[in-house]
Amino acid sequence: MSGTADPIPMSPSHRFPEFFLVALVALSALLFSNVVFAEDEERPVHFVHDVVPILTKAHCNSGSCHAKADVGQRGFRLSLLGFEPQEDYEHIVKEAKGRRVFPNAPEQSLLVLKAANLVPHGGGSKLDPESENYKTLVRWISQGMPYGKESDPTLASIEIDPKRMVMETNTKQQLRVTAHYSDGTKRDVTELALYEANNKSMAEASESGLVETSDLPGNVAVMVRYSGQVSVFSVSIPLGAPVENLPPENNFIDKLVFANLKEIGVPPSPVCDDATFLRRVTLDIAGRLPTPEETSAFLDSKAPDKRDVVIDSLLDSPDYADYFANKWTALLKNKRESKADITANFAFHSWVRDSLLENKPYDEIVKQILAATGTIVENPPVAWYKRVTLPKQQLEDVAQLFLGVRMQCAQCHHHPFERWSQHDYYSLAAFFSQVGRKPTAIAGEDLIFHKRGVAKFENKKTGEPVKPAGLGGPTLEIAPDDDPRLQLANWMSEESNPFFAKVLMNRYWKHFFKRGLVEPEDDIRDTNPATNPELLDALANHFVESGFDLKEAVRVLTRSQTYQLSSKPNEHNAVDRQNFSHFYPKRMQAEVLLDSIDHLAGSSTDFADLPPGTRAIALPDNSYNASSAFLKVFGRPEGASVCECERVQASSLAQSLHLMNSNEVKAKLAKSAGRADLLSKSEKGDVDGIHEIYLTAFSRLPDGEELSIAEEYLTKPRTDAAGRPVDPKVAKRKAYEDLIWAIMNTKEFLYNH
Amino acid sequence: MFRKFAPLPIVALLALWLVTPSYGQLVCLPAPHLLTMMPMGAQAGTTVEVTITGEHIEDVTQLLFSNPKITANPATDAAGKVVENKFFVTVAADAPTGVHDARVISRLGVSSPRAFTVGAMPEVTITEPNASVETAKAIAVNSVSNAVMPKRSIGFYSFEAEKGKRYAVECAAVGIDSKLTPVVIIADAKGRDLMVNRTGGVIDFSPAESGSYLVKVNDLTYQGSARHFYRLALQEMEGNGPPPRHPSTAKVSSTSWPPVGLPAKPGAAEAEPNDEADRAQKITLPCDISGSFYPAADVDTFEFSAKKGEVWWVEVASERLGLPTDPFVLVQGITQKEGKETLTDVAELYDIESPVKISSNGYSYDGPPYNVGSPDVLGKVEIKEDGVYRLQVRDLFGGTRNEPANEYRLLVRKAQPDFALAAWAVHMTLRNGDRAAFSKPMALRAGGAMTLEVLTVRRDGFEGEIELEMKGLPPGVTATGLRIPAKKSVGHIVLTADENAKPGFSLATITGSATINEATVTRPCRLASMEWPVKDAKQEIPSPRLVGNIPVSVSDSEKAPITFSAAEDKVWEVTEGETLTLPLKATWRGDFTGTSIKVKAYGDGFGRLKDFEIPLKSATHDAVIDLAALKTPPGEYTIAFYGGAVAKYSYHPDAVPVAEAAKKKAEEAATVAAAEAKKLTDAAAKAPEDKKAEAAAEAKAATEKQKLAEKAKADAEKELKVVTTAAAPKDRVDIYVSKPVRISVKPKPADTVATAEKK
Repeated sequence: MSGTADPIPMSPSHRFPEFFLVALVALSALLFSNVVFAEDEERPVHFVHDVVPILTKAHCNSGSCHAKADVGQRGFRLSLLGFEPQEDYEHIVKEAKGRRVFPNAPEQSLLVLKAANLVPHGGGSKLDPESENYKTLVRWISQGMPYGKESDPTLASIEIDPKRMVMETNTKQQLRVTAHYSDGTKRDVTELALYEANNKSMAEASESGLVETSDLPGNVAVMVRYSGQVSVFSVSIPLGAPVENLPPENNFIDKLVFANLKEIGVPPSPVCDDATFLRRVTLDIAGRLPTPEETSAFLDSKAPDKRDVVIDSLLDSPDYADYFANKWTALLKNKRESKADITANFAFHSWVRDSLLENKPYDEIVKQILAATGTIVENPPVAWYKRVTLPKQQLEDVAQLFLGVRMQCAQCHHHPFERWSQHDYYSLAAFFSQVGRKPTAIAGEDLIFHKRGVAKFENKKTGEPVKPAGLGGPTLEIAPDDDPRLQLANWMSEESNPFFAKVLMNRYWKHFFKRGLVEPEDDIRDTNPATNPELLDALANHFVESGFDLKEAVRVLTRSQTYQLSSKPNEHNAVDRQNFSHFYPKRMQAEVLLDSIDHLAGSSTDFADLPPGTRAIALPDNSYNASSAFLKVFGRPEGASVCECERVQASSLAQSLHLMNSNEVKAKLAKSAGRADLLSKSEKGDVDGIHEIYLTAFSRLPDGEELSIAEEYLTKPRTDAAGRPVDPKVAKRKAYEDLIWAIMNTKEFLYNH
Repeated sequence: MFRKFAPLPIVALLALWLVTPSYGQLVCLPAPHLLTMMPMGAQAGTTVEVTITGEHIEDVTQLLFSNPKITANPATDAAGKVVENKFFVTVAADAPTGVHDARVISRLGVSSPRAFTVGAMPEVTITEPNASVETAKAIAVNSVSNAVMPKRSIGFYSFEAEKGKRYAVECAAVGIDSKLTPVVIIADAKGRDLMVNRTGGVIDFSPAESGSYLVKVNDLTYQGSARHFYRLALQEMEGNGPPPRHPSTAKVSSTSWPPVGLPAKPGAAEAEPNDEADRAQKITLPCDISGSFYPAADVDTFEFSAKKGEVWWVEVASERLGLPTDPFVLVQGITQKEGKETLTDVAELYDIESPVKISSNGYSYDGPPYNVGSPDVLGKVEIKEDGVYRLQVRDLFGGTRNEPANEYRLLVRKAQPDFALAAWAVHMTLRNGDRAAFSKPMALRAGGAMTLEVLTVRRDGFEGEIELEMKGLPPGVTATGLRIPAKKSVGHIVLTADENAKPGFSLATITGSATINEATVTRPCRLASMEWPVKDAKQEIPSPRLVGNIPVSVSDSEKAPITFSAAEDKVWEVTEGETLTLPLKATWRGDFTGTSIKVKAYGDGFGRLKDFEIPLKSATHDAVIDLAALKTPPGEYTIAFYGGAVAKYSYHPDAVPVAEAAKKKAEEAATVAAAEAKKLTDAAAKAPEDKKAEAAAEAKAATEKQKLAEKAKADAEKELKVVTTAAAPKDRVDIYVSKPVRISVKPKPADTVATAEKK
């Protein structure tokens, strides 16, 4: 080989004389002021602007194919989504002894042979040999694989046409995507762009940018990506029904929700009745069913503000603190990994619970976790650092949990859907670079302190140290004596912080309304807009103005008429899944359901190391899942993830079988001095007994038909397997057990509605 | 090519395996432990009945306290018979309030201590269950309730509170030797939580409305047992000051606080705002300033001038005051150039490090579990240039904590060389997490010896040697100090009991003496002990503390398994660089396992002596000490030999015949009672109608008596089983120490030195 000319250009700019491109650009600018790249055989193919988008469009450089981290696929490695074109160029042109590209016989190049599956390709056919994209690749090879030059224009932005529109249900719209370059030129890249709707049940986008709506009304966004640029096509899909008789607005939530409903023509359901409201709000705030006494008192009350009063009373109760501590501690990974974790886990859970009980402001809670120092027993939030040990984990968890930003991708490459770069990632990591640890007497438990020194973290890509900066914020100069984590907490709680308040309100909105204004609730980004952005902004503002008052956050949500709408759809709004035209019923969470069954059956569940009578919503960590089949079957999370998705709310056959037929549930029904036992012995009579069961389970009295069916069942004489009459006392108890069992298995019981 | 020798780590591991005890062996000979007292405190000027429990405490004769104002007499029943393990404790009206130590004297001598609190408020002992709102125990404001926490339980108390008043609620546990990690909650009358403290602090409660409130107490992880005891103090507070705190035992880290001669009150106080450089508080050195790490992330900045060549010692006390802090001091020099200030680090002062590696509480023993170091600060600042300097004090744990009670005291002084001392009973290299031996009272067996390890915290550059002395011992017991060498931190005291010593007890003192600035300085040494005999350090972290005084006892109920010493009690003379052959003699009483005991030495420089073996049962053995290898300089030395060994041990075998006799007696009594019952029952059956009722009553009484006799018999059988099981010989490993040996190393004759130098 030595002495022969190298057919491969030494550097991307060597192959074509510079003047050629300059002349071309000048000519193009003169003749085609709107188009920089003439779509003809003459134009030199540009590696970054032409070749990489084709590879991206064909998914060659997706994470599961040739951009698999560090290894690629079968020896051929590309950067994820083409974020590192220089490296890709090297891999394609210089590796594999030049077999991937053959300028003398371009169509014999492995690059195109494999892509078109003309030689066996593990990924199958990705390019049709008749397609324009295939031809472009061949042309690029035949031109000697030019890279382009440093002076070439760069992609500045992409533009979608239309950007926003109202589309009727079941209609289509073709999008046009135009790339704008740094020299002012532009180009149609519709065929090369990638399209993805954020709610596929409402709209689908084809490979070529054709958007098709389904029959669901609401707001949907289609994310469009091209060469590292991202934009969004926003669609409003109206139902067009008349919206009249709106309930009176209680607060700004109603104003903004009803405005949206009017715009899309979806009439809301009426406000729910008192019984439904009390059950709903008690389950949502306190994680339990109302007692029959509470229900009777509430139903009997004539006070006009009784709904507001009950909300405040629930917020003042320790049940609220228990229930929300249960939610937060799973997200904060209060996970039992060894027997010795018990002290740390109990301490941390209790600290969260006590903080909620005293209504410590949310920014203060977060600050005390992020900047925790000392030992766990003396300062329980230190426990977070026991679970989340490395700065990278710390920044990723903090970003996702408290900022609603998923930074994981940005560790290795520019975030594909976001504006976050590796620099942003390591800037965030730098806040955690001065966390000092010292071992304590307890094995595996360090005490945490601020280690004096200038906070910085090495950017893995560049090898350069990066100083701390909040996302989108300026680089901070933090003195070596100041704990950078405090600065991070301060940045988060700044009024202008675009993430902190928003993600909390979205998370809480989802808690009460089943669906977040942004979904998933912790993935807030420009390319995943809220279904009602004005509402999310207003909620965030309200939260900031309240001084990050968590009880006020719950109060404002639950006081709204929107929250109090009936779950029964009207003739128009049944199709609505995201505009909150009616209340979306939710299956009770595992812990709430277990407690509710105990409440209904008059039983209790025994949990190791905890006093008898401790309820499932007050469990400090995940260790109880292992001993409770119920909690496991109904999806209680293990505290392994900061994502609420770890909690499984989906229904399963196992759940139905467990409720209908498990020994655990049977034992609860048959418990001595349980509800069935006591009612069967009560002298008050069956009508009272049935009333008590309905009030307990549904927070309402039975209607006439329900009452007569139940009465008839309770008084029916019973015989045993041999046909002999059963002792009436035993028969009555069994009948009550059956009645409670039947009620326990209704959707009305299992759901918060 | 094969290696000629096994790699060093393998040799080391093998050695470890050979000398350390194996699974299943019990560690250390039994020592008396006083474990619980109920109540564990009393109001000054009152007498209370106290019930004690413990282990290895048969035949308790006395309950003693570290303060003579507290006295105890055994409780007696109506018949005047002494009730086992019950005492009437009388606290004089002028007894100092605070935590004192209680101990018992029993068959094996003095026990380990247990905290006993003297307070100013009336006290009650909770005896009825109070684990629910319904059974809440009503308590008076300004009272202390003594109680124990059962497992998986919550203790409920109710009290009446008035609007406009302020109440302090505290559950003392950690500072009074309890295993409870207390959680205190104030709840409304229905039990709904209002305020919570889980970090051992006080709840400062001002009720919104007058009425009934509840106090709930539980363990952080709902653990419970008789060892989870607590004192719940409910107190009305006057004014706006900080809430009163229940007194606590002293941490081992407080050994080095305060420096001798320090005034009780500091000379000045920090003045906020002083967080920022431009608001630094101007001070002159030396100084003695009090301050507080408050509010969160507080930085206290002081500014002073100093001259080139000055050396200043900086000391901060905060953790040693019992606070959960980690002070840090930064000193920076300030230079001004063209109106711009430049700071140069002069000193970063972190912790007072332990002078020896401390235990990691892991599987194997890797150092003493006592830490005389502290997160506090003690270090020096050398001034290189004339100028202005800035000193920052901050709490490395204080970033988010808003606690005004987290105070500190800052001292900056010219060197005042000094030292502080703490001692604890030496234990042997243990594994499998057994730390039971650390709770070791100075209870000697006749013919036995025990060693105290003495550590010093050196202050302000003091490097000299420290002679150790222990005085005030019971008859038949002697103590010899093995000095702390210059620049070192560890010395020993060996206590030996005469083979014929009679039971005795006394309060001893330990002192260290050194020459500082040509004057002899004597300092007291405090004793540290573990609160509990911890069986498995992985499951329970041993809690060390300083104890109130140094009691020593000797007992003759059983003799030490081995006594060994130099063949003669004399000063053994040897010339520098030569070999000393030291004849040892041994008296073997125990049934030892193996063929020999591996022996090492304590004493200035003799710790490097290569270990050697003494064959079991050999009455004499020559120890060969090569002074050339040890490079021992001329001087007077006291050393002691020690080694670990396993012997069969029977616990209190004398109890077996006593229990057998008791059982026999009980059996006989039961037989008699049964016969009597049968006789009277038969008689009742046959009695005429008019006598029937009377006879039936007699028969019933006899049957009851028979039942009691049967129970007494069952109890006696059970007791016999217990003592027989305890008396069955079991392997026990312990550390055995020789009587101290005095060695005088003479200088080489001058001509020898000259010859050697010539060569």
